[in-house]
Amino acid sequence: MRDLLPIASRRDTTRVALRLLIRQPWASAATVLSFVVVGLAGVIAPYALGVIVDVVRDGAERSDLLPPVLAIVIAALVGAVAAVFAVSTLAQAALPALAELREDVLDRALHLESSRLESAGTGDVMARVGDDVRTVTDALDQAVPLLLGSLTAIVFTGGGLFALDWRLGVAGLLALPVYATALTWYLPRSAPIYRGERIAQGERAEALMAGIQGASTLRVFGHESMAVERIEHTSDAARGLALDVYVLLTRFWARMNRAELLGLVFVLTAGFLLVRNDAATVGAATAAALYFHRLFNPIGGVLMVFDDVQSSGASLTRLAGVALLPDVDREVRELDDEPVLEIAGVGHAWEPGVPVLADVDLRIAPGERIALVGATGAGKTTLAAIAAGLVEPTTGEVQLAGRTLAELGSTTVRRHVAVVSQEVHVFTGTLRDNLTLARAAATDDELLDALSRVGADAWLGTLPDGLDTTVGAFGTALTSARAQQVALARVLLHDPVLVVLDEATAEAGSSGARDLEDAALEVTRGRAALVVAHRLTQARTADRVVVLDHGLVVEEGTHDELVEAGGRYATLWRAWSGPSAGRPLR
Amino acid sequence: MHSPRSARQVLLGPLTRNGRLLARAYPLIALWQLGEAAVPVMIGVVIDQGVDSGEVTPFLLSLLGLSAVFLAFSLSYRFGGRIALRAQQDESHRLRLEVARHVLDPRGVDDDRLSGETLSLATADADKVSFLVRQVGFTLASLAAVIVTALYLFTVDVTLAVLILLGLPLTIAISQAVSPMVARRTEREQAAIAGAAGLAGDLVQGIRPLKGIGAEDVASRRYARVSLAAQRSGIVTARSWGYLSGLTTVIAGLFLALVAWVAGTKALDGELSLGQLIAVVGLTQFLAEPINALGDLSAQAAASWASARRIADFLATEPQVIEGELVPPGDRPQVLLVGVGSGPLKDVSLTSRTGELLAVAVDDPAAADELVALLAGAKHPHVGHVWIGETPLEELTIAARRRAVLVMPHETYLPEGTLRSVVDPVGQLSPERLEQVLAASAAEDVVALHAAGLDHAVRARGSSLSGGQRQRLSLARALAADPPVLVLHDPTSAVDAVTEQRVAAGLRKLRQESGATIVITSSPTLLAAADRVIWIRDGRVLGRGTHADLLAEDAYRAAVLR
Repeated sequence: MRDLLPIASRRDTTRVALRLLIRQPWASAATVLSFVVVGLAGVIAPYALGVIVDVVRDGAERSDLLPPVLAIVIAALVGAVAAVFAVSTLAQAALPALAELREDVLDRALHLESSRLESAGTGDVMARVGDDVRTVTDALDQAVPLLLGSLTAIVFTGGGLFALDWRLGVAGLLALPVYATALTWYLPRSAPIYRGERIAQGERAEALMAGIQGASTLRVFGHESMAVERIEHTSDAARGLALDVYVLLTRFWARMNRAELLGLVFVLTAGFLLVRNDAATVGAATAAALYFHRLFNPIGGVLMVFDDVQSSGASLTRLAGVALLPDVDREVRELDDEPVLEIAGVGHAWEPGVPVLADVDLRIAPGERIALVGATGAGKTTLAAIAAGLVEPTTGEVQLAGRTLAELGSTTVRRHVAVVSQEVHVFTGTLRDNLTLARAAATDDELLDALSRVGADAWLGTLPDGLDTTVGAFGTALTSARAQQVALARVLLHDPVLVVLDEATAEAGSSGARDLEDAALEVTRGRAALVVAHRLTQARTADRVVVLDHGLVVEEGTHDELVEAGGRYATLWRAWSGPSAGRPLR
Repeated sequence: MHSPRSARQVLLGPLTRNGRLLARAYPLIALWQLGEAAVPVMIGVVIDQGVDSGEVTPFLLSLLGLSAVFLAFSLSYRFGGRIALRAQQDESHRLRLEVARHVLDPRGVDDDRLSGETLSLATADADKVSFLVRQVGFTLASLAAVIVTALYLFTVDVTLAVLILLGLPLTIAISQAVSPMVARRTEREQAAIAGAAGLAGDLVQGIRPLKGIGAEDVASRRYARVSLAAQRSGIVTARSWGYLSGLTTVIAGLFLALVAWVAGTKALDGELSLGQLIAVVGLTQFLAEPINALGDLSAQAAASWASARRIADFLATEPQVIEGELVPPGDRPQVLLVGVGSGPLKDVSLTSRTGELLAVAVDDPAAADELVALLAGAKHPHVGHVWIGETPLEELTIAARRRAVLVMPHETYLPEGTLRSVVDPVGQLSPERLEQVLAASAAEDVVALHAAGLDHAVRARGSSLSGGQRQRLSLARALAADPPVLVLHDPTSAVDAVTEQRVAAGLRKLRQESGATIVITSSPTLLAAADRVIWIRDGRVLGRGTHADLLAEDAYRAAVLR
């Protein structure tokens, strides 16, 4: 059922990663250089120890011990300085790249079409911006330094082995196929389990989110334990997979130990034979064995990084998949004609074969206020979404100022057409943060003016810090009605030519609706408006009422005309105004 | 009942609970570490006995010894590691559930974390805390390796042994000296990352209002600022990890040089064999690893500690509601408000009656919310009482309150599932009853819209449905629960007028047979359908009667028909 956001191919992911790393050329170069120095410094000690063995074996002078010991000291100092640089320059190269990537991911996610976002599930987006970023961050903290350190150590130590004697080097190389066997055994087996683990973690996150966000409703019905059970179930599945992965890992490590042992035996045997034939010194054989022993950790590290690369690589592909979504057209074009919205022959079906709108024509002139009325399921919300350019109709087209919405592009449409739905959200931050979303550079006077026009000045004074009051989940809670007033104030700040209000006053509850309706009226003043009305009072004040039924426009006219006509609207009006229908209200 | 635990208890719980498992795992892990330590010793033996002598038999025998060491440590890691991971995963799972149970505590949680942050408590922080189980195992193994190595060194040479035994604690102490700084920075970085994740989640949740005014770019830039702060904090943290790594590298290297010098001179003096020399320097080199591990210990433990503290803080948040111990006598007790004063409400009294639809018309939204909170038991009045039957509400158990009264708030969260599972989550309704409930709530229209009918999939938060559809499904869900007293708050605010009238009639009919219903609303349609209306203005009861009676008053008409 879920239609998750795209996942990038390995190649595209690599391309994205490299492109981001190249933005920090100095830090990247310094990182490489530091790791090379760390690697070089690491080869010195075993070599020096081999020299000490030979010095001892030859019964040389005490002073002959001094050069190798000093070499160890210098290698330690240089290696330490290089290590400091390696870790911090790596962060300077990689963390900005990671930050840019996660910012791109959120940016693309925010610019997704609403319907696409909902079908992927907010959990998917949350998991990408949260869990996946964390996995990649952890990899940058641990796996990447390890990989770079290990690779340099392997290259330099392997070089050292050959420098001692090429036959010792060849003996060491003989271990390679054994390592390779271990890896080719492991990788194909682990990949599917890792994938499964990811999916299980995603489901776990979904279950947790459902429990966290739905807690109060779950409490009403006493269904908390059901939600906990689902969390338990998904968490248990994820745990099971984590254990499976680990069992596989330990079997892989056993194969690695086998490779280490065989390699060590090869090198020692080569040393034994060479020494027996006087082709190498015991010191060289010792150094070779110590070299190979020193390779255990780096080789293990590289192979283990394969593992981290697999899991963080999976996260990276998920991040890159979103980051690589085509960027939207961000240019805002001015309308070059009178801002008339023209809906022509529009029909729509959410599911193939189940049309919810058929052949709707509607023209909204500048400054005109149109109320959309109809039973639930008549297609009002769909028509509003199509008029606002949030949904592309299956048939027909919508034009604004003489050009289709597709031609204008969504950024331009959003600049000129604002939508307030019944979905209320108070953004975390200050009241000012909530308002400046609509106009980033708005002055305090503009903000206060917008608030007072929607009637929010009535309660603004009760906030402890005025505009700077932290609202939402972390601060002062705003009621739905107040939150919606803030949303309407945002529309004033945004100042579009057309505003679509889709039952924008519904969430407040009927008792709070009247303040909101005044606010909504204010917001529509001086601009064209399409108002999906569930309370018929909203229809009464409109310039024109459009009645929808089963996807068709069945009546159109002013409130009085339609009541007079005695059709469907008149019936609705009677149902609404109840027993007092006969008595005038004005 | 849970009592809040300290961060220390959260952190140490995983260790104490898994004592038996860990008693098996830790020795195996230690055995692995000792086996790894024995490898350089065995290399020394092979060189000394085999390579240096040039004899085949001792060479092969020493290789056999080397193989035995490998086999031993490989197997012990395999099984020790698995047991430790089991314990770690179990604890992670356990903490996750503990957080989930707290989130879903029947009494509510007085907590203001963002959902993303709470999610992070149940995932990232739970993982970090339980990681300590493994961390301790590896620390003990490192210590064991150090001690056994020291004992071996004593048999080789006392001076060397003393040197290493005194030198080691010193090197560790130097590493530990910088660890608190690293820990502090790591904690700040974690907080910055969590903050960024929280903001991202908040923006994603508000996506529709955001898109409605084309504020995607502004929101995106806002996130970029927070992300940049997290990035800067990460770079600072990495730098301190770099210092720590450099420090341990230099300490291990200098120490190796010292040992190499002392052992080399002793070997020159003939006090050490060649094999012992190799073993001693090999071991000292090997010891860099356990030293490093011990050096990282406190920074890692600090990360676990930070997570444990966050979890403990969360678990210590108070419940919203006080739970009593009584269960009301009687089968279907009614709800009574007697002279209640609370917030904007002043001296409000009302009683529910079985089979009756009681409407409460409230002009002020805050007063309506207050009334809902009182009936739900989320608030207790400072004047007057809320009774359920003959028992004060606050003295009842949560379960008893819920059995008696179901308070459906205006905003509800529809879970992911199907239309059927949304209405009837536990599958308790007979087909006939389900049909009745769907008809009464006009949710049958929603079912009829979809080819799959009741099996039509619903997304989390009901996001695939319109507001009116969500509202009717919520109502159906409440009716399906069939409580003795049902309290509804503006159940039809997003429903059109015609459907609303159907709902009003259906609700009245269905509830007449099963219990009392209180609707807090100012919708004329619902008010007209009610048996009785209580009109509250400015927090006071201004009138009682039927809707038709009350309509005679101009102020009432103005209030509800506006």
